[in-house]
Amino acid sequence: MNARLLAGAAILLSLGAGAFAHRLDEYLQATIITVEKDRIQASMRLIPGVAVAPVVLASIDANGDGVISEAEQQTYAERVLRDLSITVDGESVRPTLVSEKFPPIEQMKEGLGEIQIEFTVDLPPGEPERRIVFESHHQNERSAYLVNCLVPNDPNIRILTQTRNETQSFYQLDYAQSGGSSRFASWKVWSTVRGWMGAVGFACVFRLGMRHIAEGTDHLLFLLALLLPAPLMVIGSRWAGFAGVRQSLLRILKVVTAFTVGHSITLALAALGFVPVPSRPIEVLIAVSIFVSAAHALRPLFPGREAAIAAFFGLIHGLAFATTLAELGLGRWARVAGILGFNLGIETMQLIVVAAIMPSLVLMSRTSAYQFLRIGGALFAGFASLGWIAERLLGVHTSVDLLVNGVAHRGAWIAVGLFLVSIVCWRYPQNSNWLHRVVLKHRSVFSAGPEAQERNG
Amino acid sequence: MNVFSMRTVRGLATFAVIGSSVATASAQTPTSRIVSAANTFLSTLSEKQRQSVLYSFDDEKQRATWSNLPTSFVPRGGIPLRDMNAAQRSAAMALVSAALSAKGFEKVQQIMEGDEVLKATDSGQPPRGNNGNPPPPGAPNGPPPGNGGNRPPMGGPPGGAMFGKDLYYISILGKPSEKNPWMVQFGGHHLALNITIAGERGILTPTLTGAQPALYTSNGKTVRPLGQESDKALALLNALDENQKKQAILSFRLADLVLGPGQDGKTIQPEGLKASTMNDRQRAMLLDVISEWADIIHESAAAARMAELRADINETWFAWSGPTTAAPGKNITAYYRIQGPHLVIEYAPQTLGGDPALHVHTMYRDPTNDYGRGLTAK
Repeated sequence: MNARLLAGAAILLSLGAGAFAHRLDEYLQATIITVEKDRIQASMRLIPGVAVAPVVLASIDANGDGVISEAEQQTYAERVLRDLSITVDGESVRPTLVSEKFPPIEQMKEGLGEIQIEFTVDLPPGEPERRIVFESHHQNERSAYLVNCLVPNDPNIRILTQTRNETQSFYQLDYAQSGGSSRFASWKVWSTVRGWMGAVGFACVFRLGMRHIAEGTDHLLFLLALLLPAPLMVIGSRWAGFAGVRQSLLRILKVVTAFTVGHSITLALAALGFVPVPSRPIEVLIAVSIFVSAAHALRPLFPGREAAIAAFFGLIHGLAFATTLAELGLGRWARVAGILGFNLGIETMQLIVVAAIMPSLVLMSRTSAYQFLRIGGALFAGFASLGWIAERLLGVHTSVDLLVNGVAHRGAWIAVGLFLVSIVCWRYPQNSNWLHRVVLKHRSVFSAGPEAQERNG
Repeated sequence: MNVFSMRTVRGLATFAVIGSSVATASAQTPTSRIVSAANTFLSTLSEKQRQSVLYSFDDEKQRATWSNLPTSFVPRGGIPLRDMNAAQRSAAMALVSAALSAKGFEKVQQIMEGDEVLKATDSGQPPRGNNGNPPPPGAPNGPPPGNGGNRPPMGGPPGGAMFGKDLYYISILGKPSEKNPWMVQFGGHHLALNITIAGERGILTPTLTGAQPALYTSNGKTVRPLGQESDKALALLNALDENQKKQAILSFRLADLVLGPGQDGKTIQPEGLKASTMNDRQRAMLLDVISEWADIIHESAAAARMAELRADINETWFAWSGPTTAAPGKNITAYYRIQGPHLVIEYAPQTLGGDPALHVHTMYRDPTNDYGRGLTAK
């Protein structure tokens, strides 16, 4: 036979390495993606080369018995999918394993075995322009990847770009999807909102809002000082007795709502960049607002117009909230979601505080003991506000923060204690007479009118 | 003299055709020539061999039984040249020759010859690492370096070698006919010809060509079975301006064929440079690259195919990944892909075995008409 002769005559020019027919030192991971209207189908072919097959096999054949059991097949396929990060429009999604098929273990040892894994990813309806990212973390150091998408069968889906890193372990697919339904439209609104919320970490901003109120004692002090006289009537130029449950609740509601409306407006305007936020003057004004409400709690300065005052100073407090939000460095639309979340957090915390305090105020205000709380509270707030004004205006150091924070830290206990005291005062009005007497003795200091004491006594 | 040189085979084929079937001597069209070559081949076979060669035309399993891998790893259907006597062998090669152009048949022979070289130089030897020091001819290869002792089984399967021109298989799907569609498959290591004959139409897709070594010397002559595929594509790349290159050259690595064996019926999203943005000269060069595959089939079918691809040219894409130069006289080491509405060509150098310039796999497809489906599915 001449073939032998021919082979002998053939001179090998440069076979630098032994020639063999199969994959050697790489783990080839080839994925083909099909984009459909509401899901992605993907098929993976995994071919470990001869040199890497032992490593790959060791991770497949977990018990090392030389047989790849059904359970080991499934476990490995799931692991491959776990090692795959997939995001749809920035949202992390999980693939669903559809099938897995393994070659005989002997073929794999020879670098010829091809593992086939099929999976799907459900797509929530979204914007017309979508982005899907696949990133494989499976055996990165020894793998070569091939990732491609098929030309979509759906004429409404148009592939825009495919972006990959050098090894193709990262793959980004941008495509446009047209021809939406009404279901799509409503989903679009939802996903947009969700997108914003996701972008700023809605829960995070919400908690920040709550914390801002819980720890930003100046806002709370303003509100509480303003609420102190809420259950009371005004007679002449002095605070008088209980104005009635309905009236009290209505006033509290009005003040809280007005404050909310006020700070929401400026928070939104400032966060969106319509209003500049000079931080220091705002802080001073906030301290002033506390002083004003404390003074009002001592003597009615603007009886019946608490809501208006609350709204007015709410505007100033809102600017301070915006500063906090601005520190997060969010984009404009993310900030809109931020405002929403932050504000809801603030409102929630406010409501918690008001709900904790309000029953005590309403109960206690029916007794003469309430004077003590009102005046004590007002003095505390007034003192604190003066300290803050001095601190913020003159830059001097006072221990106001320390004091107020000390009180605020024990806020829950104080609220519980106050509630217990108010119940006692309400149940046994005669036991609170000593307070009454104290108040009477120091009439010159306290501002309650004699009528009030007479009525309650 | 090469025993399988075209002239010899054609001579034998002609002799066989004339000798065995005077009635077909008047055959004029390419299809009728292919049909008579097929019938001649079948007539040389024993009943048992014939049964092994023949499949039903719609045998999807056999259709897809082709690969770049040696036949010992992926058993092919049909019967190998090894199991044929000289006359049967000649008749088989005459059938392949009749279905292909002169240039195409030469390419096929060179691929087979390359495998013979591979067999002579590699059989039974352990693999060597990726260093560039070739062993002197005849010297024993060194021990396998740092592969953790993971030696591929170079001893081959029981029953013999895994390389060499004996190990190319032929099969026929359907009944050779001038009217009804039928198929000839011929292939082995680095070769898979799927030839569908449907009336006067001839379809070569899907077809895989490959070469290892992709450069060898035979009878003092340097042979690169897929050298034109390499050179013409590199010439086209060099003919692009910087802006076009930026689009054509992909920033990521392509380690292998995307639409290799087993990936029938898939149309991936095209990438790279669209030929509508090329000038006439560049487009002509692109068509010239394409012709390396399109012209493998016999001349009249190739002409029809090239006309189709020429009409598509503005919708055809060219993408490149890897080094943009080649050592003089050697193949490129870069991957490239040409894709159009009726075409996918992939050229994928293989790093296994060392120098990727010496080992290449290529794929030629028509996603709309693989196995002639576009013509036969009616």
